[in-house]
Parts: sequence; structure tokens; C-alpha cells
Amino acid sequence: MHVNQATLAEEARVYLHPLPVRIWHWLNALGFVLLILTGVQIRYADLFSLMSFETAVKLHNWIGFVLIFNYFVWLGYYLMSDKVTNYHAVLDYKKFFRNYFDQAVYYSYGIFKGQKRPHNIQPHDKFNPMQKLTYQVIMMITVPIQILTGLMLWDVKRFTSWIEFAGGIRVVSTIHVLMFILFVFFIFLHAYMGMLGPKRSTHYKEMITGYEEDEGH
Amino acid sequence: MFTKSGSGGRNDGTRNSSLAALLAFGMVLALAVIPTSLTASGSDETVSADDAKCLKCHSKQMKKSMDDGAKMSLHVTASDFADSVHSAIGCTSCHRDIADRKHPKEKITISDQRSYSVQMNQACGRCHEEKAKQYDGSIHARLVAEGSEAAPVCTNCHTAHAVKEMAVFESVTGEVCKTCHEPIFEAYAQSVHGEARASGNVIRDSHIQAPLCADCHRAHDVSAVSAEELVQSTCLSCHDDASQAHEQWLPNANHHLEVVACAACHTPMAERRIDLQLYDKLTKVPMGNEENHAPFQQRLDEVDKAGDGLDPVELWKLIRRTSQEGQATDVTLRGRMEVSTGADAHRIAAKGSAVRECDSCHEQGSAAFQKVTVSIARPDGRKQRFDADSDVLTSPVSLDSVGNFYAAGGTRIAVLDWLLILAILAGLAVPIGHITIGKILNRKK
Repeated sequence: MHVNQATLAEEARVYLHPLPVRIWHWLNALGFVLLILTGVQIRYADLFSLMSFETAVKLHNWIGFVLIFNYFVWLGYYLMSDKVTNYHAVLDYKKFFRNYFDQAVYYSYGIFKGQKRPHNIQPHDKFNPMQKLTYQVIMMITVPIQILTGLMLWDVKRFTSWIEFAGGIRVVSTIHVLMFILFVFFIFLHAYMGMLGPKRSTHYKEMITGYEEDEGH
Repeated sequence: MFTKSGSGGRNDGTRNSSLAALLAFGMVLALAVIPTSLTASGSDETVSADDAKCLKCHSKQMKKSMDDGAKMSLHVTASDFADSVHSAIGCTSCHRDIADRKHPKEKITISDQRSYSVQMNQACGRCHEEKAKQYDGSIHARLVAEGSEAAPVCTNCHTAHAVKEMAVFESVTGEVCKTCHEPIFEAYAQSVHGEARASGNVIRDSHIQAPLCADCHRAHDVSAVSAEELVQSTCLSCHDDASQAHEQWLPNANHHLEVVACAACHTPMAERRIDLQLYDKLTKVPMGNEENHAPFQQRLDEVDKAGDGLDPVELWKLIRRTSQEGQATDVTLRGRMEVSTGADAHRIAAKGSAVRECDSCHEQGSAAFQKVTVSIARPDGRKQRFDADSDVLTSPVSLDSVGNFYAAGGTRIAVLDWLLILAILAGLAVPIGHITIGKILNRKK
């Protein structure tokens, strides 16, 4: 950005979240919330009246397509960037799960005792083992499943053969709803864990500015 | 068809002015002395000399005793026959057995009136080959073959001796169908089609005629209305813009057109139901024929021992057993929303009154999903329906058996709702629990 005006201290800060990733993240966040709201309206028309079923379906479809595009922004960015290492699998499973356990212990004990974070955040390795596994599953398994099932439900006739392969429209819809339930749980968790930085707002600020905040460290 | 022009047919050129004058002078004498022709009273049509011979007796109120003890009228109204298109071909063209015998000396035995009518159906086919072939494939012919006393043969619709030409018959407003299908005809008469037909016979300010019974059901190869593809394609054959019109506003428009009968939305006050038809995924045809119909009933009785309608587990078992026993089949259920009664299916309302509110179906507890049947195709194309509980549409067990039918919101699986509540509670419990652990640990410090 305005690097020439930056102070030495600012230059020393680590640039964790590049602009495309931040745009993708916040668009995704907004999209997820809207998809959940419209999805709830579609599924629970007897309980909620935020909008008509017809409007909810149309909005759900449009937002769905925006997020499909957004998914490819994410995929394209990481495939063409050296930051893809953030999503690389750790092939040494023993080491990975030892670190995973350390991270779990940190979240459940160390964090309250002011201990140092077990994972050293770097632009090319910014996710701790728990984050890494979660985001790998979400971005490479659940989101693609949600995209595919969403497409099938969007145009049943066009994707008849896919739906038959999956076992029928009820199966496709059930998978879509199961993923939705998972995402609802994820959003609660994600929003809370974002508050587990040095300050409650630290990681939120980082996700806006892109730079690692040095608050309290 | 047959013409009745004065110079054609078998009228022997009797309709010229001089003979008419002669007849006017001595009608009684002419008929008594030279019985070469018979002038039907009230008509200017005449019949041939041969037919006049027949009518000489059969215009009287004659009756014949049949084997079943009943009496059959042998009376033919001369004027009706003279006016009919068949006056041109004469009595013996149809009643060949009479021509071949020494009639009336030789006695003819008739077991009963119905079997005689069915037997005489063959006579129509000798000339009307194509129509007879169409009729043979119809639901009417099949019912006749099954021994139905009520199903029509040719003469039930066309009459035996007063057969009219096509143009006259087509202008009749479905009256012949009404004879048997009165409640349906009354419903039709109140429909947008019936009213349009009654008020000027045009729809949408065009020359298009509003349909009569035969326009949708066909005249001779009348099909079982529950052969849904036929009815839908029939609607679309006039309403050819229906697909585009629905696409303007209805998500998954063509899928809706496939799984929702036109009448389910276009007859707004009708009671609706879901029919789950057994369907073979491999051959892509509805299951059920003469061979496997009985075993299906047997399987159904085994599964639903109480006979109180299929519950989700019983339905699942039925599908599993049908798949295993019916070799080389992959049985599935094809769901379709339709109106419950045949009469309602004909009470089609004007477009503006059609159901357009999505939540009339896509809402839990919707009336549309309270009545469920499972059906198998009968040999004549009609469906044999069996009752099922409405929760076959919402049970997790139906994920397999009713995998092909689902209406978002309307038939949602309740277990998933509990899972969502659990996810929300867990999503709240994690932060609350975590914060609590923190407080406990720091207090100890």
C-alpha cells in the first residue's frame, strides 16, 4: 500500500493476509450469513417470515453463484501464488498430530496462562495445525460438496444424471442440509476463535488490514 | 366417409321431382304395390329397397327373447336409419349373418344384449379399420375385454342405427362421454375450458377451440388419465408456451412441470395428494404388468400385515423386496403431486386463479403432503393405488425408498432439524465452555 510512508516498525510487521484473500474472506463471510438466512427461510417457511419463499430461493441462487465465483477466486489465487503452502498437507503425520495436540492443549489451558502460542505464524505457514486441518476439510471437501449439491438443486433437470448418481434429489438435499448444519456450527466457532488473539479484536483487525497486529506481544 | 347425395349410394335415383309428385299423389298405393323404396317419415331421406324390406318388420315394436331371459328390442326407427350415414351401405353390410341366412325363418340365438353388442363391434372394424385398431388399444376396449358391463362399445357412443357423420358428431358437446362420466363432465363444464366452449367456442380471442373431452383424451384410443405423461403432453400440445411461461418466475420450472400435475396448481380448490409410483430405473418404465401384478399384491400384504397403510419402514421393505424378487430391475419410487379426484382434475380454473404461492407446498404441514399413495401400473395403464402414511415423505428411512421425491421445506426430514438445533447449541456451548474454563483456571491462580 503506502509502503514509502511506512515507519520502520510497520515494515517489520508481517503481511499475513494478501488483499485477494481478504476480499475473498469477507465476501465469503457475508455470503455465508446470507445463504444461511435465505436457506433457513427456504427450509423453515412455517417458522420464519423474513421474506417470501420465492424471494428466498432467488436470492439463495444468486448469492450461491457469487460464492461459487468467489471460491474460484480463492482457488485461483492460491494455485498461482507461493502462499499455497498454507494449505499443503503435513506429510509427517506423527509430527502433525503432536503439534495438533499441543495446539489443543494451548487452547484449553496455555492460552489462559499466558503461554506462548505453540505455532509460529508466518505468511507461508499461517495456520496452526487445528486451523490447517479444518480449512483443508472445509475448502477442499465441504465447500465443493455444497457447491455441487447446490448446483443440482438449483437446476434439477440440467443435473438429472448427477442427481441419479447421487441417489436421488432427497439424498442431494440431505447432503446440502448436513453441510449447512456443519457451516452453522463452523461460523459460531470461527467467530469465537477469531477472538482468541492477544486481544479479542486482534485477528479481526488482521483480517481487515492484512498485517499481523502486535498487540500485547 | 359415406355420402348421401341423391345421385350416389343405393337410393336408386328415386329423388327426382316427377317421382316425388307421383308419391305425393299415391303414397299408400305406391308403398303397398311397388315396395321398392321407403320414405322415412319426417325426413326426405330414403332407404334402399333391400333395407326397406328389413324395415318393413323392424320399424315395428318387435322384441326378441334372449338366452338370459331378457328381451331385446329389434325396433329400428326408420327415419333415424334413413338420416344416418349408414343408410348408404344398408342393413346387411353390418348384419352379414342375416344376409347369409334364411332370415327370418332361421332362428338366431342371442345369449344376452351385451354380448351381442360386443360381438357386433367387429362389424364396425370391417370398414373403420383404423378407428377399430385405435379403439382396441383403448381403456374402453380393455375394460370390455375384462368383462365390464359398463364400458362402451362403438354403438354406445355412436348409436347402432342413427350413426351421424363426423362433423355432426364432433359438434356434440361431449354428451356421449357425459352418459357415463357425468361428475367429470359437470366439473369440466365449470372449468375455463368448458366455459370457453360454451361461450362462443373460442379461447384467448383466437380461432382456437376450447377442448372437448376427446381433444385431450382422444376419441377412440381413449387412455387412462392416470398415464400422466399423456395428460401433461396433451396440455402442452395446446399450451406450448407453458414451459417458457413458468420459467419466467418459477425456479426449476421444468422439474415442477414433471413432478406436479398441471391440475394440482390450476385447480386451486382441489384436494391434492402425492402418488409414489413404482418405477424401474433400468428400463425407465413404470413397474407393473399382468405377470408381476399378483406377486406385488402378495408382497404388499406380507409387508403391511395390519393393512393400515404403508409406514416408512414397510415402504422401504416393499421396495427392497420388489427389487430382489423382480430380477434385473432397479426399483425406485417416482413421486408426483396430483389432484385426488378425477372430477377436480377437470375443474381447471382461469390462469389468474392458479396456485402461485410457493409455500402452499414448500412449507411443513402443507395440505398437499397429507395424503400419500403408492401405486403400480395396471396393464391398462391405470394406477392401482395403495394407501401410505404421510410420514413416508419426512422419515429418514425414506432417504433410500423415496429418494427421488423431495419438496424443499414441505417434506423436510425432522431428524435434520434436531441436528441443526444441536449444532447451534454446540456452537454456543463451545465459547461459553471455553470462557468458563478460562475463568476457573484464572481463579485458581
